Amino acid sequence: MIPNIKKELVIAAAQDTCFNVFTQKMDLWWPREYHVGQCPMVEMLLESGTGGRWYTRHEDGSEVNVGTVLTWNPFELLVLNWQIDANFRYNPKVVTEVEVKFIAEGAGTTRVLLEHKDLDRMGEGGKAIESMDGGWGMILNLYKNIAEHEA
Amino acid sequence: MNSNLAFNALGDPTRRSIFEKLQHGPLSVVHIAEGMSVSRPAVSQHLKVLKEAKLINLKTVGNNNIYELNREGIIAMRNYLDKFWDGALANFKALAEQTEKNKHAK
Repeated sequence: MIPNIKKELVIAAAQDTCFNVFTQKMDLWWPREYHVGQCPMVEMLLESGTGGRWYTRHEDGSEVNVGTVLTWNPFELLVLNWQIDANFRYNPKVVTEVEVKFIAEGAGTTRVLLEHKDLDRMGEGGKAIESMDGGWGMILNLYKNIAEHEA
Repeated sequence: MNSNLAFNALGDPTRRSIFEKLQHGPLSVVHIAEGMSVSRPAVSQHLKVLKEAKLINLKTVGNNNIYELNREGIIAMRNYLDKFWDGALANFKALAEQTEKNKHAK
């Protein structure tokens, strides 16, 4: 129903560097205003290994889940479970996948393919979104997050 | 759909509340204006901005003008995520390339 988001980029860095930066330094490249916590984000963390937690830590000490590591295959493949629903809340029933392939193209060059799949599962309870309300709700909440961040 | 226009349109709290009202179903201007602290003409002006941003549609039922959400909502959400990934991956690329440079500088 909703086409997957696909991104492709060529990076002037070795495959292992790319994998490590993506997974271990997520806090440094993730746009800071994008989180689903109730107060500003302190850091975003991804635990290494299959089953690892993906979560954010916040100024009030709270931790908010984003999802988990589904596949951890250094330095070639990473699959994350993005469990944020259409109302922009963590929802363990929601399973959208972010698949990231790291393809070595020579000593210092890596092609990275990112695909965000199953976007129609963002409706609560893992069901396809049947009305547009959820989608708009998410946009509004995203927008509020940004607006509040900028305020 | 121009999502920047959409986000700018939603930058106004009154327009956000109008927009939220329409999430529950199509409404006429009279019903949209109900319970709001702004005048009818002001509501009409806000509706115009939302319509230009393609966030809502206007349809005529009999003699009534009815506003409803633009059914491209999900696509807009996808486009928003799409733009999010563009930004995030540009950051990631810059950081990976800098990390690689630092490795060889040592």
